[in-house]
Amino acid sequence: MFKELDPILHSQLRLAVMSLLISVKEAEFTFLKERTNATAGNLSVQIQKLKDAQYIEITKQFKDNYPQTLCKITPSGVKAFEQYVKNLQSYLGKS
Amino acid sequence: MEEKSITEQESLQLINKMIYEAKGYYYENGLSALIYGFSVLICSVLSFIIANGNVQFLFNPFYVLIPIFFIQAWIQNRQDKKKKAKTFTDETIDYVWVGFFLCSIVSLSALFAGLNYLVISIILILVAFACLLTGMITKFRYHIISSIVCLFLAGISFFMQNQNSYLLLAIAATIVWIIPGFMLRSKFKEVLKQEKNQ
Repeated sequence: MFKELDPILHSQLRLAVMSLLISVKEAEFTFLKERTNATAGNLSVQIQKLKDAQYIEITKQFKDNYPQTLCKITPSGVKAFEQYVKNLQSYLGKS
Repeated sequence: MEEKSITEQESLQLINKMIYEAKGYYYENGLSALIYGFSVLICSVLSFIIANGNVQFLFNPFYVLIPIFFIQAWIQNRQDKKKKAKTFTDETIDYVWVGFFLCSIVSLSALFAGLNYLVISIILILVAFACLLTGMITKFRYHIISSIVCLFLAGISFFMQNQNSYLLLAIAATIVWIIPGFMLRSKFKEVLKQEKNQ
């Protein structure tokens, strides 16, 4: 029996953001934008969805008088990501 | 990249690609390694000259390294703020070198016990250890080789225990900080150049 893939993660941009954040301690919004080649507007919407699902934490602060948005994966985000990969493996293993 | 649904195969490829992208990120201009390396080199050479009785100095030149460390830490902190992402590798390496610094400070207390040259041997071992860990964490072969060279220098220093030990430390400073510092600096300039061209 296949387990359903988490719909929050099973989307190209949100999965890309989560994959980046799982590999680093924290990352700036601009880092995510550069690595994913997404538009700022689209990325903002998607990271907000991840935040609403409590998969990531967003900190807004100022750095050298410029606004800075920092994103960090939460423990429940790590758990969800691990479960997603596990489910993905079972899909690919049985296909 | 758009917000769209993907197949399981595409998901896996995307995860691999993004993890590779994130792990490959680094922002290091090599400046702090150069500052520390040249400071240790100058202090070692100065100590060698003093020990030979050619020059008089009011205090042990190595005490200068303590304020230098704080200056270097301040520069490193400023550089860290410029990083767009903090990787776990960066954090681990920072802990390794903070550990090295604290152990070095404690080993300096041997100077008060009159064990001047033994301190150098201990510091060479600590440098080799920190360098080996850095090389293994970053998978940078140069650091692994230089740590082996440092261990070799430390071994020699135990049989030396005279002013020539300072020269061994000068060699260690060159191979552990100065050469990688220049390597990082040239790579950093290359990356900046590429970013400007994009």
